[in-house]
Amino acid sequence: MTTIRSLMTDDHRHCDDLFAVAEEAMADHKTSTAAAAFACFRQAMLAHFDAEEKTLFPTFEAKTGMSMGPTQVMRLEHAQMRTLLDEASAALAAGNADDYLGVAETLVIMMQQHNMKEENILYPMCDQHLPGELPAVLERLNSDLALA
Amino acid sequence: MQALLSFENAPPFAAPLRFFITAPLFALLAGLLLLIDGADLFASRWLPATLAATHLITIGFMLQVMLGALIQILPVVAGANLAQPLHVAAIVHPGLSGGTLLLAAGFYFGQPLLLEIGAGLLGISVLVFLLAAGRALFGVPSTSPTIRGLKLALFGLLTVVALGIVLALAMARGWALPLPELTDLHAGWGLAGWAGVLLAAVAYVVVPMFQLTPGYPARPGWLFPLLIIVLLLLWSLAVGLALPWLVRLAQVALALAGLAFAGLTLRLQGQRRRARADATYRYWQLGLVASIFALCMLLTAALAPKLAELPGWTLFFGILLLAGGFLPFIIGMLYKIVPFLAWLHLQNQGQGKLPAPNMNRILPDLAMQRQMQAWLLAVVLLLAAVVLPEWLARPAGLALMLASGGLAFNLLAALQRYRQHGAVIREKLAA
Repeated sequence: MTTIRSLMTDDHRHCDDLFAVAEEAMADHKTSTAAAAFACFRQAMLAHFDAEEKTLFPTFEAKTGMSMGPTQVMRLEHAQMRTLLDEASAALAAGNADDYLGVAETLVIMMQQHNMKEENILYPMCDQHLPGELPAVLERLNSDLALA
Repeated sequence: MQALLSFENAPPFAAPLRFFITAPLFALLAGLLLLIDGADLFASRWLPATLAATHLITIGFMLQVMLGALIQILPVVAGANLAQPLHVAAIVHPGLSGGTLLLAAGFYFGQPLLLEIGAGLLGISVLVFLLAAGRALFGVPSTSPTIRGLKLALFGLLTVVALGIVLALAMARGWALPLPELTDLHAGWGLAGWAGVLLAAVAYVVVPMFQLTPGYPARPGWLFPLLIIVLLLLWSLAVGLALPWLVRLAQVALALAGLAFAGLTLRLQGQRRRARADATYRYWQLGLVASIFALCMLLTAALAPKLAELPGWTLFFGILLLAGGFLPFIIGMLYKIVPFLAWLHLQNQGQGKLPAPNMNRILPDLAMQRQMQAWLLAVVLLLAAVVLPEWLARPAGLALMLASGGLAFNLLAALQRYRQHGAVIREKLAA
């Protein structure tokens, strides 16, 4: 059975894979391949953030009344990661491999610890609090993510 | 739960950092001891200088970094907030550092009083840490293998320190105790029950995080720390009842469990999705391969005890497991934790208005790779020195000093850059 947790966790893995493709191309000094792969990764990440911020978090907040809790922390971390995504794109555009790898390193740790919190805490909470809304939420999340 | 979600509850950088910066100096001191005493250190594991060097590495380096890292990561990975992280650090850090120096001096100069004071100081410092960390951690339900592993590791720490104090008092006061058996048990609790269980609990989180590997399988992940502790209890019982065959049985099982964990980790790392082999990854590879060889030695010696009586066997095993296994894991993780924390704190200082320098700008990969080569050289020379002590003991000591000094230099340089960037950010925000 599809749950919010399984759907969104799968999308995290999908983003990880796209990230890895970009990093591998960079390690092979294929700068233009890396830039294209990174653009895919960035698009997928932004679609994931949007799906959460426009669909999942508001539904969760409306249902539980918790608007300053975990979702707020997740939004803050999204903002930090958006900045890192921009910095990495800029480094790639400037052809600066060292800067790109440094930002990528920071982004990976930021991204993984963020995912860990969502997958282990927030998504299970969503599944628990939103059983009635589940089919509709899943459908909207699916279409949000498909925009990537 | 809020704590788990937020870095706002993470302690100030100064709390863990002091432990990280001091630790390499103890490895440097162990290298100096080797440079001064030379081949004498390799004659037996029971010599005063050898015991001093061993404790400089295990307490001065390993325990130091582990306690500092726990103060940092308990809120993040377990949602366990220490009440006063800076106060805890301010008591534990000097107590641990001073206690290690006194204990090492007690061993080296054969001064019973120094041994007693050193052991007492270490006992108090660890107890303060255990009370603070235990209060935070035992209030959290064990919802993941990591949280359960951390709790069991704290139990391991309590036991190794208690045994250590008994041993120090027995040596200082000449109590009639079976010292060799108790010393092995003390080492077993320290290396498997504390360091090994802690390493596994942390690896469940950081191996997938740093290398983008698949996660550890859940059931073995839950069982491994518990199995280690149960086997150590069995070993302790066997010592209490003076049953050497049961001691060996427990050692065989411990070696097999350790091999399974190391083999699994090696396999997971083989499936990692990151192409780049950075210093942390290389350090983990070194640590895993060295640990596997060391555990094979433990297994062989438990099955054929005559082998362990070969000259140099235990020293070779100890060097392989510590300098080849545990320290590389720890250094590899420091190389991610320190620059990431620096970035995170600078990012917070910039309040979203000013960008923080990326991790490579705080600690460049090239500097880490060079230091790692020095470490590899030190491990090879230390192992070779067991066979050819007259020739290689002093070069090995020099190499250990070089590698430890390189680590200290890298960490201090990162701290320096962190401070410079922090000053620039404050200046710009004030303008």
